[in-house]
Amino acid sequence: MRISRGGVFVAAVLAGALALTGCTPGGSTDPGTDVIKDTLIVGKSFDLATADPARSFETTGGIFGRAVYDTLLTFGKGDSTTPIPMVAKSYVANDGATEYTFALRDDVVFSDGTPLTSADVVFSFDRVKNIQGNGSFLMEGLSVSAPDANTVVITSDKPNTAIPAIITAQTLGIVNSKVVKENGGTDAADASTADTAEAFLNTTSAGSGPYMLETFNTDTETVLVANPNYWGDPAPYKKVVLKNATAENQLTDIQSGTIDIALDLGNDQLPAIASDPNLAIESSVSPTLFFLFSNANPEISKVTSTQAFRDAVKYGIDYNGILELAGQGAQQTPGVVPSIFLGALDPSDATVRDIDKAKAAVASLGTIPAISLEYPSDFSVAGINFGTVAERVQANLKEVGLEITLAPSPIATSLATYRAGTEQMGLWLWNPDYPDPADYLVFAPGNIVGLRAGWSADANSDLVALANKAAVTTDNAERKDIYREYQLAMNEAGVFVPLFQPSASVVASKSIKGAVFSAVFGIDLTFIGK
Amino acid sequence: MLLRFIISRLGSAVILAIGIILVSFTLTALLPGDAASSRLGERAAADPEIMAATRRRYGLDQPLYIQFFVYLGNLLRGDLGTSIRTQKPVLTDLAQFAPASAELAIAATVIAIIFGVGLGIIASLRANGVIDQGLRVVSLGGVSIPIFWLALIAVFLFSITFRIFPSSGRLDPGQTPPQQITGMYTFDSLFTGNWVLFVSALSHLILPALVLAAPMVGLLLRFTRSSMLEVLGNEYVRAAEAKGLPAHTVVLRHVLRGALVPVITVLGTAFASLLAGTVLVEQIFGWPGIGAYAFRSASNLDLPAIVGVTLFVAIVYITVNLIVDFLYGVVDPRIRRA
Repeated sequence: MRISRGGVFVAAVLAGALALTGCTPGGSTDPGTDVIKDTLIVGKSFDLATADPARSFETTGGIFGRAVYDTLLTFGKGDSTTPIPMVAKSYVANDGATEYTFALRDDVVFSDGTPLTSADVVFSFDRVKNIQGNGSFLMEGLSVSAPDANTVVITSDKPNTAIPAIITAQTLGIVNSKVVKENGGTDAADASTADTAEAFLNTTSAGSGPYMLETFNTDTETVLVANPNYWGDPAPYKKVVLKNATAENQLTDIQSGTIDIALDLGNDQLPAIASDPNLAIESSVSPTLFFLFSNANPEISKVTSTQAFRDAVKYGIDYNGILELAGQGAQQTPGVVPSIFLGALDPSDATVRDIDKAKAAVASLGTIPAISLEYPSDFSVAGINFGTVAERVQANLKEVGLEITLAPSPIATSLATYRAGTEQMGLWLWNPDYPDPADYLVFAPGNIVGLRAGWSADANSDLVALANKAAVTTDNAERKDIYREYQLAMNEAGVFVPLFQPSASVVASKSIKGAVFSAVFGIDLTFIGK
Repeated sequence: MLLRFIISRLGSAVILAIGIILVSFTLTALLPGDAASSRLGERAAADPEIMAATRRRYGLDQPLYIQFFVYLGNLLRGDLGTSIRTQKPVLTDLAQFAPASAELAIAATVIAIIFGVGLGIIASLRANGVIDQGLRVVSLGGVSIPIFWLALIAVFLFSITFRIFPSSGRLDPGQTPPQQITGMYTFDSLFTGNWVLFVSALSHLILPALVLAAPMVGLLLRFTRSSMLEVLGNEYVRAAEAKGLPAHTVVLRHVLRGALVPVITVLGTAFASLLAGTVLVEQIFGWPGIGAYAFRSASNLDLPAIVGVTLFVAIVYITVNLIVDFLYGVVDPRIRRA
């Protein structure tokens, strides 16, 4: 059979292409060596919405923001409890914790070489406050002023010991006010409509961090390059690529050497790479809190709003069994404050399963209809699927005589019912907005999450008083005690049943140094390579 | 005649498109859930002022019928609205993601035609022989093996174990895409003479395209074989052979042409299933195409993006059907005359 010239050409092109592509795919690392390459590639399942720090409040935005925008204070490697100096070299608080004075370093410059002054801090903070974005609540009750070029004063309308932790948030990253103003930014009261700097900040960064934005894409990858004018130690990588990839893609990418770090691998995926000599797995407990609630509003359910039902749920759950589902490294959370924060309860304070108590509570309820348990069906964290946990809860409660109907729905739908406070029972999670126990006062009656469980402020005035006291207590030892008291009272009430904190793992090529999980930022890129 | 045919098809296509917009718009808007709320974080969603501002920003504070007519009005001006999730015009998003899917679909279709039709011809010429039996097994495998399984095996073998092809994406991480001409990186890198990018784009394309092509290869192989066998028995084929025409002329010009009509029909149908398969393949290979975009838009109740994608997919289907109808006429002039 004769092969035509066209056929030969096609075959040659195909063969050539196959030969050319038969090289090792992507990846910037050389597993097993200590050589730092120019480019670091990080796999992350994106929830990225914007590169404008004032509008950003997503996990991926935190990773990006930490590397690009400096904050007054930050956290050291692997720590999320004690804020340390960054742009501010020191700070003092008044006795009532209503006024914090920050002394700024005088050698901090933005990526264009402009010195960072207190005016930039005031502009950045006021912009966050007035832009009415996801992170505007951070500035609630706060005002900021600049007595001189190197001093910033934050004043709170009530005692607020969480301020040092709050200002580590990437939303409060400091922008170059001159550049942002020139590109449509404003910190005026009408910033929610008048500020048009987002489009600019999605293409060009205006920060003083070790990296600068090169390209920003919420769906594929976002690329950072080293800031040549960085005031601190130079960034170890010339380029950092944040690659959007599902956990499944991250697994294959890290195995094939396409990425250097995988941030979203779940416990179910780790065994596949546990024996890989080129990869290192760094696991620690995550601050994410999985919890269950029974709606306290009788208009939503006459059953779940009773103390007997709450007791039945509280004592009917097999916490150890659920921990097994959550996988290795997960911890039962004894109270609503995760174990890594001040005031967290001791493991010995945790509720334990008591089938007799649960059955007695069920018996006191008489005949009751099945109760629906709602949860997001298309959402998982650290490989933990809500559906799996909900099924276990259903099985546990059936053992003590409670009929639970599972009512999963996509998160966009279930989030609406959850936020409207119309779920009879719900299985949800809470990620810290800032690393301080004050963030967990949202679970108190009348507060945001409390209301989602139909728990109004007048339902438990003692708990409300306790939460209010916790919010304004300034002495750390006192805070610790009062948060413990608050959580024990919350557990007693039983509207919320804290379940567990999953483990969080960072999987990295062994050649990568410093890739550790951060409870605040997910991962702090500025530590990697150092 | 042809013009009337095209105008009538285009007219019905426009009516169909409006119907599709109405249905997708209404159904999406009526879904339980709140697009404004899903855009906001926990604290912001609890603030009525921020919620109201977000609703105003995306026009969600208007009654549904007004939203619909505003959308239609904008559509007439070529504006598909702004995605709530990406904050970019939907048209810009589609221009980014649709070429990625198109590139994958075209590559898979080309592979499927080359291998499906080629092997089908060989199978028919060696009917009931060992080669034919072997190809039947191949065909059965192509059609019956689940595409996600095939994709996972392909990644395991060629990306993880042998590291021949990359496991995900369209380019190596950090590579700047070529200047957009078609949006398909292989073509654009070729047009701009960027060989490094071309190699990268091609190496990322091959594996997902092969996986996506597999069911179509099986289908085309079977249909080409049976259609060829049917035509091979016709007297005009024997007459051509009797006239002493070379075998390849008989096969390619007489038999294949007659056998192509049912194959084209199957190709049209297969293209539809290929689009569905694209969603899965895109997911497994981290291919940032229209399927991934549609999924993320739906998860966020991003109404403009959902309607935009629906409209786009509908237009693709309508266009493919038009092309198939047109090809019938090209392959078999009797159909054109009818």
